Amino acid sequence: MTTETPDKNADLRTKVQDLIETMINPAVAAHGGFVELIDVQDNRVYLQMGGGCQGCGAADITLKAGIERLLKEEIPEIAEVLDTTDHASGANPYYTPGKM
Amino acid sequence: MARLLLLLPTTTYRTEDFVEAAHKLGVDLVCGSERPNTMEDLAPDSLVTLPFADPEAAATRVAEWSRQRPLDAVVGVDDLTASLAAAIAERLELRTNPVAAVTAARNKHEMRQCLAAAGVPEPRFRRIALDEDPFQAARGVAFPCVLKPLALSASRGVIRANNVDQFMAAFRRIAALLRRRDVEASGDAARYLLAEQYIPGLEVALEGLLMGGTLHTLAIFDKPDPLEGPFFEETIYVTPSRLPTGILARITSVTAAACTALGLSEGPVHAELRVNDDGPWVIEVAARSIGGLCSRTLRFGTGVSLEELILRHALGWPIDSLDRERRPAGVMMIPIPRGGHLQAVRGRERAAAVAGVEEVALTAHVGQELVPLPEGWQYLGFIFARADTPDAVEKALREAHAHLRFDIA
Repeated sequence: MTTETPDKNADLRTKVQDLIETMINPAVAAHGGFVELIDVQDNRVYLQMGGGCQGCGAADITLKAGIERLLKEEIPEIAEVLDTTDHASGANPYYTPGKM
Repeated sequence: MARLLLLLPTTTYRTEDFVEAAHKLGVDLVCGSERPNTMEDLAPDSLVTLPFADPEAAATRVAEWSRQRPLDAVVGVDDLTASLAAAIAERLELRTNPVAAVTAARNKHEMRQCLAAAGVPEPRFRRIALDEDPFQAARGVAFPCVLKPLALSASRGVIRANNVDQFMAAFRRIAALLRRRDVEASGDAARYLLAEQYIPGLEVALEGLLMGGTLHTLAIFDKPDPLEGPFFEETIYVTPSRLPTGILARITSVTAAACTALGLSEGPVHAELRVNDDGPWVIEVAARSIGGLCSRTLRFGTGVSLEELILRHALGWPIDSLDRERRPAGVMMIPIPRGGHLQAVRGRERAAAVAGVEEVALTAHVGQELVPLPEGWQYLGFIFARADTPDAVEKALREAHAHLRFDIA
């Protein structure tokens, strides 16, 4: 159940989408990756990663220490960024995990 | 808010579980990797690139970096980053193992020497230079023996030899492996290999946490598939072990003696032992937690993950319980049956539907080049199961694996 008004969610979506287009995607494109905004609900941002980010061994680092950090700094009301990507289907990950 | 530096190689399987644990604990997470993250310029307070191959340089870099952002703990997630974490933590005067102890644990020859000096039961061993004539070198060992690189993990490059011909073939194969670009062996690890007495018996793994020099055993895993060579592919781990209580106590005491011999005193320990009529023999002790995604078999207290325990300990935070949940659990590391490129995976739904199976995590991607042991370093994926008995866990893992089909061409 959402507790935020539709307008608030829409406003946050616009801000997040703007940051994805102007800052995040230009950065992750360096590794052939891209990020799509799926939704914003209750100050939680739902993202999907694609290209080189999908299935990448460093995807969690990029998401939590990179993207979430940036979004929270730029939009303080954001509580969390969640990854909805099916990483197992990633066909061209930039870094492939191995034993360790 | 406490600030934690996690050292995460870009290719480790361990990232997701450690990052999730850090998130649950609510720490300010900083991720250090050996290659730049694409977001590093946009998030310089939480992403840092470090020279993993040069611990002293990495420690200097982190010491500079942390002047503006003080760190409360540094944690590595594998053999390489355990050494690095020790060097950094020692420089910052944070909780850590001594660098010398972690270095000794990482180099199989140094480890053998430390254990031998302390009288810890282990195979007889001999270090052999890779520029020696393998025929001459073979004359100095007893058969059967096991040849292995000094610094690789997860059975990579570990080969049994029953006679001189097999010894020479294994010797040349390991030498070629150490020249591979993806191995990055350096120093002694690039110049020597180790020949060890083959120890027959059952193999177990002990997962532990050292706190102030005391080893706390978190779990002992049976490895029910025979590991008799010529390669030593790890497949199934099941805990609790089905070995008698007295043997389990000896496994713990021998592992504790090995940790003391190496000088390890803090943090996670992953030990591999052989058990036969003469008791437990230490095959390996690593200053890190279990590899791959295997830690997902373990839960402590009220559902706390192994990674949370490790991070809590590094931060000096209280730990409510080190008791593993009672329900038997296990994992199967899905081996790579042959080399080639993965074309497709079939049967995942049927594998996941097997009673007791919790998850079928496929980590190899379609199109990926697959390299089997002894040269390889990856798995196709992991199957996790829980059931009422260890036997039922093992059965579920085998049944699930039988449903999976990997098209490799």
